[in-house]
Amino acid sequence: MTDFKALLRALTDAGVEFIVVGGVAATVHGSARLTRDVDVVYRRTPENLARLVAALTPYQPYLRGAPPGLPFRWDTATIIRGLNFTLTTQLGDLDLLGEIVGGGGYDNLLPSSTIIRVFDVECRCLNLDRLIEVKRAAGRPKDFEAVAELEAIREERGPPAGA
Amino acid sequence: MTEPGRSSIDDIIDVYKRDVDRTLIRERLKRTVEERLEDLMDFQQFAEELRRAGRDTTQA
Repeated sequence: MTDFKALLRALTDAGVEFIVVGGVAATVHGSARLTRDVDVVYRRTPENLARLVAALTPYQPYLRGAPPGLPFRWDTATIIRGLNFTLTTQLGDLDLLGEIVGGGGYDNLLPSSTIIRVFDVECRCLNLDRLIEVKRAAGRPKDFEAVAELEAIREERGPPAGA
Repeated sequence: MTEPGRSSIDDIIDVYKRDVDRTLIRERLKRTVEERLEDLMDFQQFAEELRRAGRDTTQA
């Protein structure tokens, strides 16, 4: 089981700049679909990569689904040479994304994110409209199902205040 | 046929949308963000229990 609370706290306590996307963002907006991992888009600055390494090192991140014993090292060199990482940690599964299809990187998504306060931490979450756009762009059948639910959520919420 | 300005993806999403449980959505929207995430963790734990039970049954 993924401990969303502990994962978000570990990242925010270390000062990592990230935006929650994917299934957890959908849950934040009201989705009832089950998701197992936390997907976040992280900022790829040297300072932030160092914070990311420090935040997760205590939880022994490892490549999810890879056989045990590979010489995987969780350090900035590894992150610099990669982009997206699907990890398993002692707190649960975490997808660290440098970029997402249809959305780009952290700085592209930042204007479409909102700050949420949850479990006594503040973090950024992709807003509903942008989440629908990137899910559409991902183009997998399961994403279209998710888009259908998210569009229904948007209809049920009605227009934003002041619109 | 797909209407102008729409793609077949819009039509596919509309088909999926017919099956969306709006009653469930309305209930979810009454809950706070924290409650929604707590529900998700409970749901995960429940799914994990069911998987374990299924494994135990097939191994017995």
